[in-house]
Amino acid sequence: MTAIHTSVARKLMVVVMLSTLAALVVALGAMLAYDLRNYHRSWIADISTQAELLARTTAPALAFDDARVAKENLELLRLRPEISAAAIYNARGRLFASYAAAGEAQFPDLPEADGARVEGDDLVVFRRIVDHRDILGTVYLRTHYALYDRLLGYLGIAAVVMILAMLAAYALSQRMQRSVMRPLVAISEVAHQVASQRNYSLRAEKLSSDEVGMLADAFNAMLTDIGEATRELEAAKRAAEREVGERRRAEEEVLRLNAELEQRVKERTAQLEYTNGELESFCYTVSHDLRAPLRAIDGFSQALLEDFPKDVPEEAHRYLGRIRSSTLRMGQLIEDLLNLSRVSRTELVRRDIDVGEIARQVATDLHVRNATRAVEIVVWDDMPAQADARLLRAALENLMGNAWKFTGKVEQPRIEVGALRDGGRSTFFVRDNGAGFDMAYANKLFGAFQRLHSANEYAGTGIGLATVQRIVHRHGGRIWADAKPGKGAVFFFTLEPGEAVSAPPDTKEAQA
Amino acid sequence: MVALNLRVWAAAALLAGAGLAFAQADREVQVKAAFLYKFGDFVEWPANAFSGPDSTFFIGVAGDDALAAELERVTAGRTIQERKVVVRRLQRGEAPGQLHLLFVSQAEGGRLADILAALKGRPLLVVTESENALEQGSVINFVAVGDKLRFDVALPQAERARLKISARLLAVARKVVS
Repeated sequence: MTAIHTSVARKLMVVVMLSTLAALVVALGAMLAYDLRNYHRSWIADISTQAELLARTTAPALAFDDARVAKENLELLRLRPEISAAAIYNARGRLFASYAAAGEAQFPDLPEADGARVEGDDLVVFRRIVDHRDILGTVYLRTHYALYDRLLGYLGIAAVVMILAMLAAYALSQRMQRSVMRPLVAISEVAHQVASQRNYSLRAEKLSSDEVGMLADAFNAMLTDIGEATRELEAAKRAAEREVGERRRAEEEVLRLNAELEQRVKERTAQLEYTNGELESFCYTVSHDLRAPLRAIDGFSQALLEDFPKDVPEEAHRYLGRIRSSTLRMGQLIEDLLNLSRVSRTELVRRDIDVGEIARQVATDLHVRNATRAVEIVVWDDMPAQADARLLRAALENLMGNAWKFTGKVEQPRIEVGALRDGGRSTFFVRDNGAGFDMAYANKLFGAFQRLHSANEYAGTGIGLATVQRIVHRHGGRIWADAKPGKGAVFFFTLEPGEAVSAPPDTKEAQA
Repeated sequence: MVALNLRVWAAAALLAGAGLAFAQADREVQVKAAFLYKFGDFVEWPANAFSGPDSTFFIGVAGDDALAAELERVTAGRTIQERKVVVRRLQRGEAPGQLHLLFVSQAEGGRLADILAALKGRPLLVVTESENALEQGSVINFVAVGDKLRFDVALPQAERARLKISARLLAVARKVVS
């Protein structure tokens, strides 16, 4: 910073000194040239005049050949000591009279033409002496030509003047510098402190009301702005840091909760899976083991009827018949339970299948088994799906079997199997125009052993829809129904995870 | 041989001396003529001395034909007071007539008083070469000083003749009588 100070100061000094020097050189040079030219001209004019005067004065002396008078005339030049030598030549060019200030002098042998010329340090003037018509002679004057002395003298004075002026300029510029530089230095010192300490509360002192003063004001205003901006920035930074900290804590909390939740879900799932497995194996075992005694009951009931046709009274016959039908129903129940259990236990194998193909096979089976009834079964074409063929067949058997069953009291029974498509996904449906049901009980549809109709009205175990739901769920799909009592029912299901195709077909319209 | 030689030397010496004397006389005439001519530049005549602006400047020479001839030679083609110059030789007893400058030689010294009396009051510059000529009324009188020709000036006579004599001429005069 002091380097800057001295450099600017030095520049200022150099500027002042150089301009002073330039002004002095130009002024002194001009004065010198003017004076020397003046001197030269006036000196020549002066000496020429002197020569002319001498010519006039000595004309009679020459005319009347009086060298003594001419000599006396020349002696008057003692009053002008700068004239070192003078002479009068007569008309024939012979030296007529002479004068030497120092006593001794050399004179030219012959006069020259009119004129003045500088000869070394001397000015030599020749002047014809003319009286009216005749050339009487020539005046010769030699004077000291002090141009060079004068020049030297002037140069000496100029040197002294320059030294004095430069000293004055130096002193002045030192003073000026102090007044100019002090405010600048003050500002630059503050700037330095601000830069090194990052202290924006410092202020430059305004020492003058000129541009430097304006600079100080502008600098201070800038410092204020920077200080405020820095404070705001720091506040914002602190706020942001706080916010980030809070967010990180919140995230950590969320992560922790998530981990906890996952852990809990995992534990619950494991528990549930374990419980489910236990239940299913229990169910399977029970169902399997129940079949043996049931077969024994049925077998021995039949044996009684066949082996003792006459010994068993009519009443007992009827009772035995009731026993056998009950065992049959129980067998069916066990079979269904085993199926349900099997659906859960068997492995899911997805393949490319045609739902329509399977539905048609199921329809054929239904027609074969119940040849007495005429039910119209419509199956749409081209309903591909990625599903387990065996499980899907079980599901369709249940759904279509239900439909077949619940259309038993309708004049023109009709079953329709189709699919709604949206891009690559399908929502399949099975629709009938049978008994239907009240949607108020829709939530009970898929529970095991839940029946909306009495067994007298429609035969069934109440396990079918539970099985269907389990199959659909195993495929990751959903199942739901839409129905009205006496107006038929529609069962929708999907075979893959995700939303079902919206806008299910209007059941009313389908039944119309 | 020797006698002959002597004669020859004597003859040579005689000739040389005569030649020198002749040369000196000739030189004196030349200087006098030149002085007379120059005087015209340093003297102012009254206006009525001339009949007109172009009238002739008359110089009269009494008693020295050689000088008159020399003066004619000197003034030929030249002017005095910006006038043509005519030199008149004045014979003995002749009336001077109209003149502006009159030289009276030593040979006419005896008649000087008469001549001057006749010319009294006229604007005429009288130059003489006789002793006491100034007292008799001459304005300028030649004087031999060594080998140089000098002159004295009498201012009262010049004043009487209404002539103004330049101070520059007075500066080179040997003696000025006032």
